[in-house]
Formats: sequence, C-alpha cells, structure tokens
Amino acid sequence: MRGVPSGVDEADRLDREQAKHVLRRALSMMQPYRRNLRISIALIATYTSCILAGPYLVRWAIDSSITPAAEALRAGEAVPTDAVRILNTAIALYVVIAIVHYIAQRTAIVTLARVGESFLRDLRLRVFAHLQRLSMPYYDREKAGVIVSRMTSDVDAMQELVQMGLLHFVSAIMLLFIALIWLTFVSWQLMLVCAIAIPFVVIASIKFQRDSNRAYLTVRDRIGNTLSHLQEGIAGVRVIQAYGRQDLEAQRFASGNQELYVAHMESVKVQAWYIPVIEFAGYFTTAIALGVGGWMVTEDMLTIGAVAFFVLTLSNLFEPIQQLSQLFNQLQSSGAALQKLFQLLDTDIDVNERPGAIDLPKHSTIEVEDVMFRYSPDGETVLDGVQLTIAPGERLALVGPTGAGKSTLAKLVARLYDPVGGTIRMGGVDLRDATLESLRREIVVVPQEGFLFHGTVRDNVRLARPEATDSEVLAALESLGVRERFEAFSEGLDTEVNERGSRLSAGEKQLVSLARAALVDPSVLVLDEATSSLDPGTEALVERAMERLMEGRTVIVIAHRLSTSERAHRVGVVTEGTLLELGTHDELVASGGHYAALYATWVGGLGR
Amino acid sequence: MWERIKIQRWGIALGVLIGMCWTVGKVAVPWVVGRGVDQGIEATPPDVDAIRFWALMVLVAGGTSAIFAGARRYQAFREARRTEAALRDQVYAHIQRLHFAYHDRTQAGQLMSRGNTDLQQVQQVVVMIPITISNALTVSAVTVLLILIDPILTLFALGSLPLVNILGKKFSTNLFPNVMRIQEESAQLASVVDETVQGIRVVKGFGAEPAQSGRLRTEADDVYEAAMDASKVRSIYLPAIELMPNVGLILVLAYGGHQVLNGNLTIGTLLSFNLYVVLLIQPLRMLGMIIAQAQRAAAAGARVSEVLSTAPRIVDAPHPTPLPSAGPHLGEVVFENVGFAYADGTRVLDGLDLRIEPGESVALVGPTGSGKSTIARLIPRFYDVQEGQILLDGVDVQKAPLAELRRSVGIVFEETFLFSDTIAANIAFADPNAPQGQIERAARLAGAHDFIEELPQGYLTEIGERGFSLSGGQRQRIAIARAILADPRVLILDDATSSVDPTKEHEIRDALGEVMRGRTTVVIAHRPATIALADRVVLLGQGRIVAEGTHEDLLRTSAAYREVLAAIEEAGELPEETHL
Repeated sequence: MRGVPSGVDEADRLDREQAKHVLRRALSMMQPYRRNLRISIALIATYTSCILAGPYLVRWAIDSSITPAAEALRAGEAVPTDAVRILNTAIALYVVIAIVHYIAQRTAIVTLARVGESFLRDLRLRVFAHLQRLSMPYYDREKAGVIVSRMTSDVDAMQELVQMGLLHFVSAIMLLFIALIWLTFVSWQLMLVCAIAIPFVVIASIKFQRDSNRAYLTVRDRIGNTLSHLQEGIAGVRVIQAYGRQDLEAQRFASGNQELYVAHMESVKVQAWYIPVIEFAGYFTTAIALGVGGWMVTEDMLTIGAVAFFVLTLSNLFEPIQQLSQLFNQLQSSGAALQKLFQLLDTDIDVNERPGAIDLPKHSTIEVEDVMFRYSPDGETVLDGVQLTIAPGERLALVGPTGAGKSTLAKLVARLYDPVGGTIRMGGVDLRDATLESLRREIVVVPQEGFLFHGTVRDNVRLARPEATDSEVLAALESLGVRERFEAFSEGLDTEVNERGSRLSAGEKQLVSLARAALVDPSVLVLDEATSSLDPGTEALVERAMERLMEGRTVIVIAHRLSTSERAHRVGVVTEGTLLELGTHDELVASGGHYAALYATWVGGLGR
Repeated sequence: MWERIKIQRWGIALGVLIGMCWTVGKVAVPWVVGRGVDQGIEATPPDVDAIRFWALMVLVAGGTSAIFAGARRYQAFREARRTEAALRDQVYAHIQRLHFAYHDRTQAGQLMSRGNTDLQQVQQVVVMIPITISNALTVSAVTVLLILIDPILTLFALGSLPLVNILGKKFSTNLFPNVMRIQEESAQLASVVDETVQGIRVVKGFGAEPAQSGRLRTEADDVYEAAMDASKVRSIYLPAIELMPNVGLILVLAYGGHQVLNGNLTIGTLLSFNLYVVLLIQPLRMLGMIIAQAQRAAAAGARVSEVLSTAPRIVDAPHPTPLPSAGPHLGEVVFENVGFAYADGTRVLDGLDLRIEPGESVALVGPTGSGKSTIARLIPRFYDVQEGQILLDGVDVQKAPLAELRRSVGIVFEETFLFSDTIAANIAFADPNAPQGQIERAARLAGAHDFIEELPQGYLTEIGERGFSLSGGQRQRIAIARAILADPRVLILDDATSSVDPTKEHEIRDALGEVMRGRTTVVIAHRPATIALADRVVLLGQGRIVAEGTHEDLLRTSAAYREVLAAIEEAGELPEETHL
C-alpha cells in the first residue's frame, strides 16, 4: 500500500555496533560513487548555509545601515551615504546567495539521487546474483516469499529513503548544526537562554519517535490484515456467494477495517501532541529572543539586528526538527533492511566452483560411487551407499515410492546438491571439480512441470541461452517435431505466455521446457516425468518430443509410468535410500522382486 | 461519495473552525514581534515593560497557534480516516453482492485498487479540506493585514509567492506519473525475482542464471531511470519553490530597507514582513499541491463510485416463492429448454432438457467447452439463463429466495478456495455456529478427518497464506466437507477429484459414495472411477445431451462415450505409493 509509514520492529532495530557495521559496509559499497557523495554533501552544506546567510545579511543591514541611519534621522542629521551603500551591498549579496542556494540545491538533489540510486541498483544486482548462486538446500530451507521480500520490500524501503528522505535528513541535520554554531557566534548569551527549550524538544522528539514507531507498526500490521482480507474477499467471492455469507463477510471485514481506523487514529494522536510541542518550542524561543534579546539591547549587550537574526533564524529551525523525527523512523527501518540484505550476501554458497576447476568431458561415463546424502546436517539420511555406473547414451529409469530418494539421486547427478559422502564423476572428473558453466551445459534437468517465465514463447525457449538466434530456436523446435505446433499460434513464437503460462496448456508448457533443453544440447538429460496427465491431444506429441530429445544422450528419467520404464535400457528401483534393484525391465520382471510386483499391479489396473 | 461528506459535514465544519483559530494565532505572531520591536526595543527610550508585554503576547499567540495546529491535524485526519473506512466497508460489502458475471470480467487487482489506493487518494483530499480552508484563510488574512500596513511593500513581499502555488501544483502533477512509474518498474523487477525464486529449479536445471541476471539488470536499470527522472523533477521544482520566498525577502529588504532609511517604515514592520513571507510558504505550497491532488482524487473517487453504482444482477425476485421445505422427495432438478451464453457471447447451452430425480446422482461427461461446468453453475443461480427455466423442486430458481436457494444447493468448485482461517471455520463456512461434532462428521464423510487430526493443532490449525499449507487433495477434501456441512438437498461436485493424488483418489471416492447416498448429486468428473459412482451418466457435446444412461450402457452403446473415456484412460498412471 502506498504511503505506509515506515516503522521498525524491536527485534530488527540495530544496536550501535550493528548500525556502525551496516553503515561502514554501505559506505564501502558506495566507493565508486564517493566523489559524487562528497560533492553532494558539500552542496548540501552550501545551500543550508545560504538559508542562514539571508537573516545574517538582514542583521548586517539593520546594524550597519538602518540603525545608524535611523539614529541620524532621529538626531535631525542627514542619512550617512555609507548607510545606503551598505544596504545596497547587502541586497546585492542576498541576490547572489539566493542564486547560489538555487544552483546548489538543484545540483545536490540530482547528485545525491545518482549516488543513492546507483547504490540501490548495485545492491539489487548483487543480491540477485547471490540469490541465484545460493544452492538448493537454501531454497529448501527458506520460504520463497521471504526470499522474494528481501529483493522487494527490503530494497523498496531504501528506495523510499533515497527518493524522499535522505536529502531532507542530511540537510535538516546540517541546518540545525550550522544554525546552532551561527547563533552562538552572534550571541552566546542569548543562545544559552534559548537553549532552555532544547531538553524539551529532545525529550519530546525521543518520545514521539518511540510512540510513532509503535503506532506505525500497528498501522502497517492492520493495513496488511485489511488488504489480505480484501484480497481474500475478492478471490473467494464465488464461494462466499455460494454459501450466502455476503453479509457476514461484510461485517467481519468492517470490524477489521474499524481496527485499522483506530490504529490510524492512534498514530494521528501521537502527531497531534508532538506538533504543538515543537511549534510551541519555536514560539517560546522567539519570545525569548524578543524579550530577553530586547532587554539585552536596552542594556547595550546586543544589537537590534542580532535580535532580528535570532527571530528569523528560529522561524526556520523547528520544521526540520519535526521532519527529522519522522525521518528517523525511515532511517531505522532502512538500516534494518540493509542489515538483512547484508546477512543474505554473507550466506555461504554450498555448490560452488573450485579454483582451477576444469570443463566436463562430453558424452562420457557417469560413475556414482558410494554416495551418501542428507538434506541438512542433522536430518535423515536420504541416500546411502548408492553405487551406479551409467554408460554414455544409456537410458536409465528410476522408479520407487515418493520420498525414497530417486529424485534426490537424479539431482545429485546434476549437481544441484553435493553428496555428503562418496563421489559422482563424469568422464573421471569429480563433479565438484568441474566448472559450473560446463556442468550446466553438459547436464540439463528438465523438471516435472513446464514452468514458464514472463515473456514470449521464444524467450522461454531461449531461457538458458538468451543469445541464441531465431534459427537456432526454430532448429531446436524442429528437432523435437513441434515447430508447427507453436507456429500455428496467432502470434507464433512471439505469443506472450502470460503469468505462469496460463494461456498455454500443460502439454505445451512441457514442450517449451523440452525445447529449452534441446537448445542447450547437453550430453546428459535428467528428466522428471510429469505425474499428472495431459490432455490426450498433446500427450502423444510430448511423448514423441521427449523420445527425440533423448536420442543420443545419456538419460536419467524419474519415471512415474511403467510405460516409461519399459522403454528404458535399464531400470533402477530406489527404496528407502538404497538402490534396491538394477537391471533391464525384463530382467527385473523375471526376478520377481519389487519391480515385478509393481508391474503386475499396473498391468492388472489397466485390465490388460 | 458526496453523501459521505454530507454525513460528516459537522465534523469537517469543526475542523474548519479549529483551522480558523489556528489562523488567528499563526497570523498574530509576526505582528506581535513587530510591535515588540517598535514599541519596546526601538522606542526612545527603550521600554522594557513593553518588551516584556509583547514577548508574553508572542507566547499567547504562539501557544494558540501550536495547540490548534495539533487539533487541526487531529480533526482533519479523524474525518478523513472515517470517510476512508466507511467507503471501504461499502466497497467490500458491495463487491460481495455483485454477480458472478461482473467478477468474471473484472480483474481482482482492479477491485483491490478500488478498495486500497483509490480510497487513499480520496482520504488524502478529505484531510485537506479543513487544512486547505484554513490555509487559504491565512493567506488572505496576511495579505489584507499587510496591505493595511503598506500596500507597496506588500506587493514586493508577496508578489512572487503566487508562483509558489503554481510551481507546487506543477510539481505535484509532474512528479506523480514518475512516482507511479517507479512503482511499476519496481513491480516488474519484483516479478522477475519472484519468477526466478519460484522457478529456481528450472533456472538451475537449465543453467539459466546468467540469463536471469541479464533480465534483472534490465529491470534494475529501468527502476534507476524512473527514479532519476523523479529526482530530476524534484530538482527542477523544489529549489524553484524555495527561491520564491527568497525573492520576496530580497525585495522586502531592498524596498523596505530604503523606506526605513527614509524614515517611512519602522524596523519592527520590516521584521514582521520578513516573518510573514516565511509564514506563507507552507500554506501556499500546500494550496498548489491540493489542486493536483484533488484532480487525481476526483478520478479515484469516480472509479470507486462506478463500483458502488453497479447494480447486482442476481437478486431476489420481487415476490419470491419459497422452496418446498418438507417432503420425502426433495432435490429434484429440471432443466427446461435452457439456453445460455456467457457475457462474451460464447453460447454454451442450447435447448437443454435434463431431469434429475430426487436422490439421484448424475455424472456429467464431455469434452472441454461442452457446458458441464455451466450446468453446475446455473443450478445455484450464479448466472441467469437466457432461455427456458431451471426448476428446483418445482420452483423456478429465479423466483426462489436467493439465500434459501444457495443453502439448498452445495457446490464444490473446480478450483478449491479456502480462507485464511482455522480448518474448523473453513468447514463450518455455511454455518459458523455449527457444533464441533457436526464439523467432524462432515470431515469424516469427506475423508478429511484423519489427516486433520494429525495436524499440529487439529481442527484449529490455521491454513492459508500465513498458515499451514495443505496439499491440493487435502484442500479439496476440506472443500467437500464444507459443502457437506451445509447438508444441501443438491450437491454439485465440479471436478472434485482433479487435484487429488491418484493414489489417494480411492479414499475420496469412498467418501463421495457415502456423501452421495440418498442425495441429489451432480458430478463433473474426468476419472472413470468417479464417473462409475453415479447412477446415470450424461454425455454432453456442444451444449446438448449427446447420450445418457448408466456407465455400462453407454460403454456398450455410445461410440462417442468410449472415445471420451479412452482419451482419459490413455493417461493411465503408476499407482506407486499404494503398492510399494
């Protein structure tokens, strides 16, 4: 929801050490832009000084020109020529300052934005690259939603800061700082008296910052609830109507919505006492400048111009304080977001490329030697003592119950995971010593469902090789005998596949997935056969395409249909983490083991 | 929309009144300071009592301004949030009442923004009503006061300030599309991330990491460009807006300073003019922004009104005929010469005649688009037929009271939708007060009881987005239990076993057999075993009945039926889990 105020959870709030660390690391990421960063800080300092220089010129004009002139008039003398000259100089200087202010501010906005946005872009690219390098165990462990939120809500929190807050934050702090120095310089005595207001402002701001943070968190929470309720009410409207629950649902929604209203009002209440306190502090110091300052003038301790300087400067000072306390929330939540992102960047990559890795040889024997695997160090052993040799061009079907380890074995061969014990070699090269690039080129995993990405059919076929030419894409489709199928689409290969491919049938998605593999042209294919059935028309086409894709390649197929295992050169039965049976279909059926029993029930089920 | 504001007119008026008090205090301060300087400090001889008096007056005026500033904010937001909340309630309640056909053609995202961002826009403008009125009042009060003091100096002091207003409006107008663009580009970037994470197995399986990085870079560059464009708009307008008061201050010093030198103006007045220029910046800037904001809010308000003014099509007849409530043989469904086409013009049913006896179970079979699901959706009157009529126990469904009809017809949708709530609440959807025993009975019948018991909190397990995630088959069984709990006289199962793991299908099948006993049931099924459960099979093709009879009869007599079944059987699967 737009305009959600930022707040930071107590648990996410950074302590001093963490904040330092995050800041240092962020600054080191900004190294390439440090020149621009320095320039923008200098520019901000320049224009905040200009804000204060105006009142100072007024002071100068009053004390050096107007007051002497007024005294001269009062004494019945002519206005000194000096007075007119000084006034005109002050005016001219003011014009110069206004122009400098304009230019400095304008340049500062763009320069600082460039630094901030470049930083964010780098951060996005780095986090994304790291996300992709993170190996499968990480994705098994973390929820997809949480991973995605790192790249969305966490980075967006900072985007908001860079867009709106950062410049205000830096300039407000500088303004306060420079103003305090300047006021002290003009009259430290008067400044000291005005300083009575400081503790009140500080205490009120700290309290406000805490209260508003808490209020914003509640608001954010309830906005989330209301929105998900709204979304659910829209998505589930058919069910709600089918059960005649419209009124009840509307009542339930209204009560959540009322809670959101209350939360909003709580956060307004916090502002409604804070704003008067700060505003009053401003008027209080103005009254002191006038009262105490005025008295000091009568005692000749101060000039009238200095009083004017105080009054005018103080009128500029208290709005930035209000802004600062609001921005502080934003800054804290950005810090917390950054901390999470840095933690993500620090997550180890398990499946990594070793220094001095070599390319995998094409079309060679795969040896699985005494492989043991578990998904987490303290988890169950999924595979144990698996021994297997697959000849080049051989087709091996793996069957077995869900969770017995057949998919895991296939994934290990593709090095989506590294075995905990034992080795897997291809052409004598341990997969862990191979370059990732050659690994992904030689061994391709085609998953069960044809998962499509946003874009055209062509883009999807080119997934792994975006540089592939149109004719290469066509050749890949042709080799599977499905070119016509896609060219028959109204926009041919340029047909948008929509979100998650809703316009293509399950079979067509599968075909795209197969074409992807054909385009990569690997020597080893790992196929996970679909469990759900396809529409009869495409089913045959997919079968044929798959058959063609497998030609001349080493294939490991996770079979869900016995017809697939029937056609394989050899069948491996995986149960309870071991390779229980291995042999040709006929051998296994003849041996009367698990596979034979399975086959018997299947044949029976089909009524053959 | 306007009715809402009318209801809240007194609250808004109170806000305006508070705003006026704020104006008085705010405008008084610079004047008081000026008096203090002239009558106290600059008096000859200086008058310490006057200085003390006017300093105290600064506190009084300032205190007034400060207190009412807080009160103004509170009251303004109170009214605005009330409007927002009330309209959101209305939008939600109305969405719930709108007919299926409306939801078919309206994207969920669209309705989401009606209830979310659009109402935000409206809220932001309602906040601004009292604030804008008091701001405008402040601007006019200051102008009048200054003219009374010195008309020419007023011209110099305030002459450049209308530009603040104009620049404020332009700034808001120009920034807005850029801010929207940042959001759009960020959303596109998010979808690349989302896809990559969801499809990480595909990405890794095909080694597509570099390609995905390339796509992300493109999106990140787009976000960068959009953000930089927004910053450029800021860099053009923000400094210019700040420049305008400086122009005023310079002119005050230039003209006013010389006037003081000539003895025509006092230092105190000069100082007050300076303070007034500073004071007016904020109100003028906001006045400029509100114009742009109001334009957007008007568009947002119109979109909300459009939803609220759409009349629900499926409503109770003026004089509804109650369904017969007692009798041994309830649940008779008759289609008489029914013709139906969806809003996009696709004609689905054409002169359909179908009679389903009370307690009979009928399986509807046919290729995609043959009208099976439509028949299912017409019985509970999710849509109205264009020709003919549908009778439930002798009453035209269009004449039956809607609530009663929907209670009498239970439907399990093809796509299971469960709510983010406990399992018990999901099953007891039709009757939130149903006792636990009834819920468990329904769950048992649907074959869901056993797995529910095994969940961490049993029936009180939260499911949905933030809760426990269930498998497709488990979800479907809960949906079936939900339909059973309502104890409808007609039960419609739209492809209710489609997402069930084939190895678990038999469990559902057993459950279904139990549920269907003695109850009128319409099953839309793709699996032969489920079809076989029904007393009678109706084969549909192109909106008409092609053949009907028992499963065995049709197997024997209808070639079309055999064809459809063969297509299904082709995809015979390996029943691995049950046997290994």
